Amino acid sequence: MHRIHEIKSNFDSDIRNVSTIEQLEELRVKYIGRKGLITTAFTFLKDVEASQKPKFGAELNKAKKEIEAAFGKKKSSLGSTKGSVVKMDVTLPGRKNYLGRKHPLIQVADEIKNIFKSFGFSIEDGPEIETDYYNFEALNIPKSHPARAMQDTLYITEDIVLRTHTSPVQIRVMEERKPPIRIIAPGRVYRRDTPDATHSPFFHQVEGLVVGETVTFADLKGVIQAFAHRMFGKDAKVRFRPSFFPFTEPSAEYDVWFNGKWMEISGCGMVHPNVFKSVGIDPQKYSGYAFGMGIDRVAMLKYNVKDIRLFFENDLRFLSQF
Amino acid sequence: MKISYKWLKEYIDIDISIEELAQKITDSGVEVEEIIPLVAEFDNIVLGKVESRSKHPDADKLSICNVSTGDETFQVICGAPNVEAGQLIPFAKTGAKLPNGMKIKKAKIRGVESFGMICSKEELGFEENSDGIWPLETAHSVGTDINIVLADYKDYIFDLFITSNRPDCLSHIGIAREVAAFTGKEVKFPEVKISESANHNINDFIKINIEYPQGCPRYAARLIQNIKVAPSPDWLKQKLETIGLRSINNVVDITNFVLNEMGQPLHAFDNDKLSGKQIIVKNSIAGEKFTTLDDKVRILPENCVMICDGKEPVAIGGIMGGLNSEVSDTTTTILLESAYFTPKNIVTSTRKLSLMTDASQRFEKGTDYDNVLFALDRATELIKQLAGGEIVQGVIDIYPKKIEQTVVPFNPSHVNRILGSDLDNNTILETLKTIDLIDTPKGITVPSYRVDIKEEIDLIEEVARLINLDNLPTSVTEPVYLDQPNKGTDDYISDIRENLIQTGLQEIFTNSMISEKATSITPGIDTVKILNPISDDLSTMRPSLLQGALSTIKHNQNRQNPNLKIFEIGRIFINNGSDTIPLQPGKIGIALTGNRMPDFWQGDATLFDFYDIKGIVEELMQKLQIDKVEIEPGKNISYLDNDQSAIISVNGAELGSLGKINDTVKSNYGILNDVYFAEIDLDILLNYISYDKKYKTIGKYPYIEKDLALILDNSTNASEVFNFIKSQGGKHLVNINIFDVFVGDKIGKENKSLAFRLKFQSDERTLKDKEVDQVFKRIIDKSKKQFNASLREN
Repeated sequence: MHRIHEIKSNFDSDIRNVSTIEQLEELRVKYIGRKGLITTAFTFLKDVEASQKPKFGAELNKAKKEIEAAFGKKKSSLGSTKGSVVKMDVTLPGRKNYLGRKHPLIQVADEIKNIFKSFGFSIEDGPEIETDYYNFEALNIPKSHPARAMQDTLYITEDIVLRTHTSPVQIRVMEERKPPIRIIAPGRVYRRDTPDATHSPFFHQVEGLVVGETVTFADLKGVIQAFAHRMFGKDAKVRFRPSFFPFTEPSAEYDVWFNGKWMEISGCGMVHPNVFKSVGIDPQKYSGYAFGMGIDRVAMLKYNVKDIRLFFENDLRFLSQF
Repeated sequence: MKISYKWLKEYIDIDISIEELAQKITDSGVEVEEIIPLVAEFDNIVLGKVESRSKHPDADKLSICNVSTGDETFQVICGAPNVEAGQLIPFAKTGAKLPNGMKIKKAKIRGVESFGMICSKEELGFEENSDGIWPLETAHSVGTDINIVLADYKDYIFDLFITSNRPDCLSHIGIAREVAAFTGKEVKFPEVKISESANHNINDFIKINIEYPQGCPRYAARLIQNIKVAPSPDWLKQKLETIGLRSINNVVDITNFVLNEMGQPLHAFDNDKLSGKQIIVKNSIAGEKFTTLDDKVRILPENCVMICDGKEPVAIGGIMGGLNSEVSDTTTTILLESAYFTPKNIVTSTRKLSLMTDASQRFEKGTDYDNVLFALDRATELIKQLAGGEIVQGVIDIYPKKIEQTVVPFNPSHVNRILGSDLDNNTILETLKTIDLIDTPKGITVPSYRVDIKEEIDLIEEVARLINLDNLPTSVTEPVYLDQPNKGTDDYISDIRENLIQTGLQEIFTNSMISEKATSITPGIDTVKILNPISDDLSTMRPSLLQGALSTIKHNQNRQNPNLKIFEIGRIFINNGSDTIPLQPGKIGIALTGNRMPDFWQGDATLFDFYDIKGIVEELMQKLQIDKVEIEPGKNISYLDNDQSAIISVNGAELGSLGKINDTVKSNYGILNDVYFAEIDLDILLNYISYDKKYKTIGKYPYIEKDLALILDNSTNASEVFNFIKSQGGKHLVNINIFDVFVGDKIGKENKSLAFRLKFQSDERTLKDKEVDQVFKRIIDKSKKQFNASLREN
């Protein structure tokens, strides 16, 4: 035991005198090299009395760890300050790592998801490239519908499109599951828009769908209002105004009074009977509501971003603000 | 769609403010996107009275006027010949700014001071050219703000967004009908009295026949002779200009006027250019050529509605007229067409022709088939009034099969089932009645202009909107669903994202559409191409997250930030044959470049290297508790440096790759620093995440550490030695750590030394040195033999 302390104190004085990397390496060999003093000390362990063994071993290990730590410290100081020692100055900035952050749109999407999860919704996903059937036909948008104009939709083949909304997920979920259904589906969607401050050829939506035996427009209003209060604050006023979407009826847009203006947030409505028919759900027995909102749009309002393109340029000066 | 407030008022009394009106229109389901005042708000302009007028002593054409504003009187020099004492006039005080930008200042004109200006219509922006000042007839008192005095002259343009189901709202009368429903006023239709000339009958001039009723169920026409094509009068010009249309001549302007008044598109033919005294409505044959009035040769698809004379087509019905029959300045006889075309036919034809017009946009959504004659008479009479001529007696109205009025079976109780309301049947039926949806024994009858109402749900929507959505009940007691999963795929993706962020990675979102050229750095993937891309730069779906990462690095490097530690989670796209949707696997892309740490005052910055990207991947796997990960050398990854590339696999399934971006790719992007990139398949990863975490007892007995430094051939992979030691270590070898790698002349040029720290521990007892030594010795001996290695002595 005494021997360990002796080695340790010798080491302490030796290392103070080290001023070059070469000297440090000599010292390493002397103490913790393969035939170094500490290494060989381990071989004495077998000669120690059984009762003392654990204590001796622990001491030895401790000494070894301390010596190794001292080496590391000395090594980095030799490398960086080249011999001279900086006097401690607590006002110098601390050592930092890069800060990882979620993309602002994910931050907003997470907020939206968490609110709806707390309302009992589960999260679903669907492909970004869809068949014409899922993106249009099954959603009561037949081929002759004016909303199908070529300039809005990006096509892969005549029958395969970049989905123009997250609504196809409604169809996929209803095909797979029986009511009750209560889901939201966030994701990327595409439109044939030339990029400018308010348009991006791809953007992000959250789709919502609830189907049950007694689901009404009143429930839709309730859930949207509750969402708006959670997302935009208790004082957020909400208004509904009639609108048109082929896959819901009645349809509405809802606006939230935010930052002194009515902001258009989302489209919503009661699932159209034709949509139910296309997935084999009886519209006489079941009813449902659906809604969709733009994640990018909510993020622009929330963060006061005036140009949607900023979200996709990934300039660190932008991303690091969130 | 632009609606003029002044124009709208011709069809309905409005006794509410502009703002309230906008609110009513919005509540009806037509969104008011913008209200544009046609004349700006005036400032410092009031109603003045010319008290006296005298001649300027030094200028013949100037007058000196005293203008009263009630409490004050100003001396004003006026150059207008029509200024008279006693007139009420718009008076701009000093400090006022006129719409043309002119600022009114105190001035001295030929030696006489002037304090303000008497304004003309032109100066206030109400007309193009004025001859003199604007004497007003008004009951307002002198001194009143001119904005109030001129309220009736001012116009506002309502820019409306009309949803595609409501083509009946695409006109001033259509909007008036909506306003009527929400204010209780009545719509005033224009009075039309046709004054035909008794000399001729239209049947003597032309015969009309529909051979293609599928595309054109109704075709009506009138003939007007001896007209004079000329510029339109000011009122008509102004009306069209306020809603953004260009005035062309009286005939064309009238058809546009009626279109915007009541939504019926009309077409005027120069009757003298029609041959054979007949009109035949036919369908086109694919490949047929036709020159439209914009002088473009169109190659027609099949089944366009073609309006033909005795010889050839003269118009594409419902879409655009032909050059051969166009009305010109010398036209004297007009055949005016008013028709109903089948919406589906027009949609298909416009899409195939890539030709959309004001007319086609209305026909494709559905026009009012019952309004065909009224609109025809309205325009005919206007042409007679504005272009002279005689209306030939009679109207031709070919309507072989009358379109039946829609009757929708309706059970009022279904309203409450959908709306969650508590409305009684009577209220529901009365509500519908306000917009002429009338309850009859067969069901609810629907007016011809409401082409959107076809089934019960459409009526429920009408009830909802008429009652006002904000007045409908709101329910906040929703049932709790007990069958939702506790944690789903999305939650695991969130966990992965969280783990990456904790290692200091910034998340990015990049475009999933890239240029075809950019895909060349990731060859071997059958890419997905867009049929109608926005541009060449956005023509191909990304086959990898690499392109987005490199673009991001380039973008930031060009903005003086060369240090990035970024990741993206997103889909990539792989062609899966033209009959099915592409494969769209989720991927995680991670990229490192530049300084390993943010700038710090101590020490020189070190750059990211291979082991940083590898460490991040290893840590991620550790966090997700995926044990069986192997990262082995992987050659031939097109964008990676051959010596610094590796394949990541789990249980033999390939998860992805990582390594250093090679110089070719780097210089392609003009990136200066080295880039390290990893791409991991999200879907495969999710299969291996340990969803079931169970606690294992923490060892309470001391461990014994042994260090082993082997000198090996440089080409020996660390993982081989590591795995070998592991396989030889027995059950008590609980951990192996590589703590040093050494190369140098001391151990031979072709060699390297790997130092392993082995940790032995038992769950059941304290291990004896002897047994550990035994195992350790065996490991040493076997390793030496296996790898032809020697022990490093110091």
